[in-house]
Amino acid sequence: MSEFLTDAVAFLPVLARGLWTTVLLTVCALAVSLALGLVWALMGMSQYAPLRWTNNIVVNTVRGIPIIVQLFCVYFVLPDWGIDFPPFLAGVIGLGIAYSVYQAENLRGGFESVDRQLVEAGTALGMSRGMITRRIVMPLGLRTALPSFGNTTVMLLKDSSIASTITVAELTRSGQLLAISTFKNGTVYVLIALLYLAASIPLAMAVRALEKKAAWR
Amino acid sequence: MIELSGVAKAFGARQILRDVSFTVEAGEVACLIGPSGSGKSTILRTINGLERHDAGTITVDGTLLSDKSLPAIRRKVSMVFQRFNLFPHRTVIENIIEGPVHVLREDPEAARARAVELLSRVGLADRADAHPGQLSGGQQQRVGIARALAMQPQAILFDEPTSALDPERVGEVLAVIRELAEDGMTMVVVTHEIAFAREVADRALFIDEGVIVESGPARDVLTAPSAERTRLFLDRVLRPH
Repeated sequence: MSEFLTDAVAFLPVLARGLWTTVLLTVCALAVSLALGLVWALMGMSQYAPLRWTNNIVVNTVRGIPIIVQLFCVYFVLPDWGIDFPPFLAGVIGLGIAYSVYQAENLRGGFESVDRQLVEAGTALGMSRGMITRRIVMPLGLRTALPSFGNTTVMLLKDSSIASTITVAELTRSGQLLAISTFKNGTVYVLIALLYLAASIPLAMAVRALEKKAAWR
Repeated sequence: MIELSGVAKAFGARQILRDVSFTVEAGEVACLIGPSGSGKSTILRTINGLERHDAGTITVDGTLLSDKSLPAIRRKVSMVFQRFNLFPHRTVIENIIEGPVHVLREDPEAARARAVELLSRVGLADRADAHPGQLSGGQQQRVGIARALAMQPQAILFDEPTSALDPERVGEVLAVIRELAEDGMTMVVVTHEIAFAREVADRALFIDEGVIVESGPARDVLTAPSAERTRLFLDRVLRPH
């Protein structure tokens, strides 16, 4: 046990740097996934059929390809076309795109849960479709989507470990390198697991607190 | 003020309205009564385009209702809903200024000042910052009426404004509508409150199976109806057990 502790103290600075990269990667990919997800969700609910078809193709394509393969596509395939991203940026883009379709489903579920009668109330006031979306459907739908949005974010945090395969020095990758160079597999991977928990549990709690705050009665 | 001529509407194969024609003059209160499913709410909803009519013409304040004129007509005609339909994420006063500020582009301060006046008019001056969920049904409906008035409409459509209320809350909402009638507001009211309609309405229209069975001065239609169907309906409503 004492050996575990001495090792832990020695390894933590390296792993903490990895954790920081993991958090950064998650936050950036989250922003990309939400922005894209909002676009997909709005396209999916559009009154124009071509937009809905496009959305359908995008969602099914992205959802049908493993995230690790998507990351490989961004990092290894795009350079063949002259588009060369550094590992971290490739990770943000790949994870952001992969997760955008789940965010779109979360958002759409939230938006569609909004009482149609409130939409009618807005219509009767003379609000345009866009205004109704902005001022009624989005604020109410986002609250409903919050719990599933929290789940997705925790999943994204964990799946950010896939970026280790394209050499992003996040938590998993830093741990792997440490384990290889020290042969202390047990200590290193237990520490990694604990650090992921240390990040995901507060995240889940934060989302829960946000849900409480967003309740309007 | 509001004129329907030969209005028809079908939902799929089901014909909801057939050849509905009537006129509501400025300052007049018209009550639409009839069994549920008779099409009276649908009539109301065609006037502000919440439902699109298949045939016939609707004219509001001299403007023929069309896709193009619809926004202008919605500014002239407000609506009060059976289930209030207040925006739950906004406070009472925010609900009231939503239309004036965002649709009519009024100055928010001016809109707020008028909203405060409207709230005291419906007896809720002290609830401006409450959320709809914190109010009783009767209070919510009075906010709904204030929200409709805030648009400074030329006419208001009421879709069963008291049907979702507890019996002891009906009176406070009817009192507000009665005051509006005294002020000369043009109103079309779908209601099951026969006594109220008899007292407040200038005209009553009895609707059944998508047609106007009978129409005339409210007192006549609701006291001594000439059509057999109207008589049967009134008997059922006034002596339900």
